[in-house]
Amino acid sequence: MTTELERELKQLIIDTLELEDVTPEDIDPDEPLFVEGLGLDSIDALELGLALQKTYGIQLQADSDDTRRHFANLRTLATLVEERRVK
Amino acid sequence: MTQTPLQSAPWRDDDPARRIGWSPAGPGTTLGEFQRRIVAWQALLDDLAAPGAHWLLHERDPLTFAAALIALWERGDSALLPADDRPETLAGVDRLTRARLGDVPGGHRPDASRDKAGEAPRWGHFDPERRALSLYTSGSTGAPQRLDKRFRQLDAELATHRTLWPLAGDVTISQVSHQHIYGLLFAILRPLCEAAPLAETTCRYLETLHAWLGALVPAERARLISAPPPLERLPESLDWAAVGDRLSAVYSSGAPLPAEAGARVRRLLGAPVREVYGSSETGGIAWRDQHDGDAWHPLPGIGVRDDGEQRLWLRSPFLETADWQRQADRIEPLADGRFRLLGRTDRIAKVGGKRVSLTAMDRALAADPRVRRASTLTLPRHATRLGAIVQLDAADLPRDHATRRALVASLRRQLTAAFETTVIPRYWRFVAAWPTNAQGKLSAERIERLFRDLHDRRQPRWLGVETPAPDECRIALEVPERLAYLDGHFPDHPVVPGVVLVQWACDLAREHLGLSAPFTGMERVKFPLLLLPGERVTLSLALAAHDDHQRLMFAFDGARGCHASGRARFALEEVP
Repeated sequence: MTTELERELKQLIIDTLELEDVTPEDIDPDEPLFVEGLGLDSIDALELGLALQKTYGIQLQADSDDTRRHFANLRTLATLVEERRVK
Repeated sequence: MTQTPLQSAPWRDDDPARRIGWSPAGPGTTLGEFQRRIVAWQALLDDLAAPGAHWLLHERDPLTFAAALIALWERGDSALLPADDRPETLAGVDRLTRARLGDVPGGHRPDASRDKAGEAPRWGHFDPERRALSLYTSGSTGAPQRLDKRFRQLDAELATHRTLWPLAGDVTISQVSHQHIYGLLFAILRPLCEAAPLAETTCRYLETLHAWLGALVPAERARLISAPPPLERLPESLDWAAVGDRLSAVYSSGAPLPAEAGARVRRLLGAPVREVYGSSETGGIAWRDQHDGDAWHPLPGIGVRDDGEQRLWLRSPFLETADWQRQADRIEPLADGRFRLLGRTDRIAKVGGKRVSLTAMDRALAADPRVRRASTLTLPRHATRLGAIVQLDAADLPRDHATRRALVASLRRQLTAAFETTVIPRYWRFVAAWPTNAQGKLSAERIERLFRDLHDRRQPRWLGVETPAPDECRIALEVPERLAYLDGHFPDHPVVPGVVLVQWACDLAREHLGLSAPFTGMERVKFPLLLLPGERVTLSLALAAHDDHQRLMFAFDGARGCHASGRARFALEEVP
């Protein structure tokens, strides 16, 4: 079951990171975004952090345990946006 | 012969009946006619500027080009040869030259009605140190660079070729552009300096070559100045045996010719295939005939040695200086004076702050049994990640989103063993044929074309074009998953709208078939199958002129069948 916000975040990830071979359907909300799963890395994390700030006004501390937890998978990311969005 | 080739200048001979041009249709241009063309060019140039000017020159037909070049050289001028005739290229070099000459927009050409019979051309003096021309590198590494060549450098190289392979009256047939050094020397200056005929137009298609060889009279023999792209595509279907004894040699340059292609050319055309290794900067360095092995003979007078890192050092009379100069290629010298070419020095890129050898990445990709050839590269507009161009057999090419995704995942998995995630390519382009330009190089311009859909989301992903005839082409395309037009057509079931397909067909016909007339309508357009994101298709285009319009037939065919077909109508081209 994918929520509207999750759908929006999938598109944000694909567009921000210019993922050519990924469609929203390919992103499993429970699968890890980094390393295994989608295969993203630390540069992607930085870019994604910037995009979240721009789109939802969320400030994240780069490289904190907190951030890593929020970036675990799409669901944790959606929870973060719901709780902390100011836009 | 004691005179250098350019000093001997046989185009000045008083021998008006001698044939200088060769044409499959008729007797060919005589030296007398050629000299009248020189008169006409010189009259035009006199109207435009005092001698000593630098002109932009672009002429597609070899003999027309030759007349203009000789006319301006003899007048005391020099020429700048743009690499191609794209508007951006020409605009970029206008400030360096007095005016444009030739078959380009705004190009001056002699007025035929002003032909003054009886006037003689003015012959000048080619000072060895004078600049003869400026030309451009083919841009296989980065942006094309401008190079100046003095008469001394051109003459030294022409003399070397003449000693090694005297033309002996053979007709020169060219399949390459003379705006680049190889075509200029082999297809234009050698026949001019050795008083041998040259085909008046460039032989662009292999069917044309077959017809031309058949049109040579039995006593005539020809040399073919070619490059890997046409030679690799020599069709077995034509009856080459019927014309096979007419060629005395085939030359190839621009990139190494695959050994099996060389053997096939030799078998079909019945002539030795001589490859020339060199570059615009260095001129010719060495040659080989792969029938006798894959090692290269340095050209006479060229010094070749290696250093502790296998780097090639070169000393050459074709260079600006007489010093040893280090080159980017690596070699292995052999005891008999020949050498083996080991490829470029490692290309190093920095991705996300990490250094990576692109050469090592290419090798790792090529280790996959499906991969025929691979090149990893940095993209100027997307510098944070690498791109990769991968050539596969037709059966291994991805046909839709799922197969492409699985292929990328499996290639990524193989690379993870040896490379960090950050440096693994993110943008993949899978091609059936190596996407070279006319010189056989994967140029900066071709790379830009392959990755253009990354920043222009209205475009299909372009994966190569074949042009079997002037009015026909086949283009390999993929539908990018992030295509702008997919949005909002059917929610949750994105497809490419039919109108977008028609637009693509028209745009690509403008790009590849030189179509420029306005669109006037369409007919018989059908969309039998929806086209989905990630699907790969071949777009076939054929343009035909009718009495009052032109008709473009188009068809998009994929693994599941035909997605779209129909005809678009255009006005007739305006004659400039």
